[in-house]
Amino acid sequence: MNLKKILTKESILPQLKAENKAAAIEELVDFLVHSGKITNRDESLKAVLGREAKMSTGMQNGIAIPHGKTDAVNQLHAVIAIKRDGVDFNAMDGEPSTIFILTLSPANRAGPHIQFLAEISKLLGSETMRTKLVQATTADEILKLLTP
Amino acid sequence: MTNLTNTVIQAAHHATETVAHSAEASGQNITHMMMLLVIQLAVIIIVAKVGGYLAQRFLKMPSVLGELISGMIIGPYALGAKIILPDFGPLFVEHAGFAASAELYGIATLASIILLFLAGLETDLAAFLRYSVVGSVVGLGGLLTAFIIGDLTAVLWPGNGIHDFMDPAALFLGVISVATSVGITARILAEKRKMASPEGVTILAGAVFDDVFGIVALAIVMGMAKVSLGGGEVNWGEIGIIAAKAIGFFVVVTALGLIYARKITSAIKQFKSKEIMVAICFGLAMLLAGLAEMAGLAMIIGAYIMGLALSRTDLAHEIEENLEGVYNILVPIFFCVMGMMVDFSAMKPVLAFGAVYSLLAVFAKVLGCGLPAWAMRFNARGALRIGLGMLPRGEVALIVAGIGLAAGIIDQGIFGVAIMMTVITTMLAPPLLVKSFEGGSGLRKEMAAGSDDIQSIELNFPSRDITEFLLNRFVRALRNEEFYVNRLHTDQLTYQVRKDDIMFVLIEDGSTLIINAATEHQPLVRLMLTEELLSLSDLLDATQKMEDLQSMGSGLLAGMFC
Repeated sequence: MNLKKILTKESILPQLKAENKAAAIEELVDFLVHSGKITNRDESLKAVLGREAKMSTGMQNGIAIPHGKTDAVNQLHAVIAIKRDGVDFNAMDGEPSTIFILTLSPANRAGPHIQFLAEISKLLGSETMRTKLVQATTADEILKLLTP
Repeated sequence: MTNLTNTVIQAAHHATETVAHSAEASGQNITHMMMLLVIQLAVIIIVAKVGGYLAQRFLKMPSVLGELISGMIIGPYALGAKIILPDFGPLFVEHAGFAASAELYGIATLASIILLFLAGLETDLAAFLRYSVVGSVVGLGGLLTAFIIGDLTAVLWPGNGIHDFMDPAALFLGVISVATSVGITARILAEKRKMASPEGVTILAGAVFDDVFGIVALAIVMGMAKVSLGGGEVNWGEIGIIAAKAIGFFVVVTALGLIYARKITSAIKQFKSKEIMVAICFGLAMLLAGLAEMAGLAMIIGAYIMGLALSRTDLAHEIEENLEGVYNILVPIFFCVMGMMVDFSAMKPVLAFGAVYSLLAVFAKVLGCGLPAWAMRFNARGALRIGLGMLPRGEVALIVAGIGLAAGIIDQGIFGVAIMMTVITTMLAPPLLVKSFEGGSGLRKEMAAGSDDIQSIELNFPSRDITEFLLNRFVRALRNEEFYVNRLHTDQLTYQVRKDDIMFVLIEDGSTLIINAATEHQPLVRLMLTEELLSLSDLLDATQKMEDLQSMGSGLLAGMFC
């Protein structure tokens, strides 16, 4: 799938400020609210936190993929964020998470939503890519790495 | 003046009457012709289907054998000539030395286009490319050996009037013995769960190579035969041109097809309706079939190329599934009509030749495919399995023979020999193949550790019901993600999942759910499965909140016997 269709400069947050998991998720959702992509902040936050409550989306090697399904959106929205120092995200390997991919997808509409996450996960399988992403400081750099 | 006027009026009247009469006559002819055709088709469909069933049920043989034999029984050279329709004469009669009328042969031709279009669609091009080296060597070995032995048998056999290797009839006997009908082998491999074994994959890859080059060989031979029949001498220069034209058409059209197939299908997908998409794809197959014939190749070549081009698109399975009904009805007509063409009296003098030709056709494939396999990575056991797997000939051999007969290149006797060889190889292959798969590995020791990028994910659940439930939810989630999910006709509940380049398989094996996916598609499968597992736990929580099941049940049953 073509990541360029979903990812733009406006969907990248090069320096996440939050210091804990809840604050990180809020900051990611707020970023989507401020960029005008979503309007119903509370519903969106509820969907992501609800999914997180079932099982943490903190994976291995510093990657976290918080996501949720909600009727508050009518198409797939995504944010990619980087936090060099990392945040404790209850990751599988216990390490702090540094690369965050948040997605919000409509609950009752078909589309390649998980496929988007899978596509990014595939890219993040490479250690070189992860290192480059964490070292990148601007949205442009990050976008270029993910959508060459 | 009056006389002249009268003459003109009379002439005009006469002309009108003549036109009216001829229109009436031709109208009646067409109606009668169609009526006879419909009755013939009715008999063919019923007899072929029953024959196919009997062959499968009682002889444990492929249904195609039953269909062929049914055709032989009801054909114009057997019962067909004796069944008399009142006012119409025999049910089946010879038409200018040909067993089928033009209209009946037309329907059989349409069936052969469907057959080869679907054969192209079912081609696993990815597996073919992955095993292309060993597969191509095995395929090419079988092809060359079968062609040369088939041709030479015709040349060396005394008294059949064929003296030259380049004689069109000899070339046809060579080509007829080339094309493996892998369908029969594939069914046995699937039943024995050997489809993914090194031998199984090599056979399937070899058969694709064999199909493709068998069809190219047919194109070359057709071209040579046309020159020869036109009274011209075929020299090596001309053969080179014919071969270049055939290979050029094949390579260019297939490459264009593969490059543009996605664009074509995404344009067709705009119609949103599966019926329209499938019908248009089939229309395209017929169009390419016609164009191939126009370019001097056979129609089946065009149909096969269209199938091959569409095989890598996500519509492949939809087309297969939607054409299945048409296939099931039309294809038996083809085999039955081929059976009808067997003239027993013309076969008598060639029976011994047919037996030798069939026997050599068996050896040609076992040696031609087995030896290269043995030289590459298999031991003698593996090589034998591969040789036997490539043994059965079927639809392509029959179509080629039919084309040769229709074009007047081979006579009834040689046509009968082709049918005989098809029947013998098809009957011999299943029992021999099953027997050969007894025993250990077919790979040489040093080759046994093979690598494959397909990984299995296995999830065990406490009961089969839960596995099935999760599988159904997973299938629904995949469809929501716009994947094409198709159930395969296998004993185990198996789904094939496709979308663009992504392809994986879901299998329910008792209470275990197995997903076979390439490494690069593992993240998708794992993420989606995790989401479905989590939703399963949601569902379990929800059932806790349900009204007491016993009181629900008594609510339902209360009042039933009042």
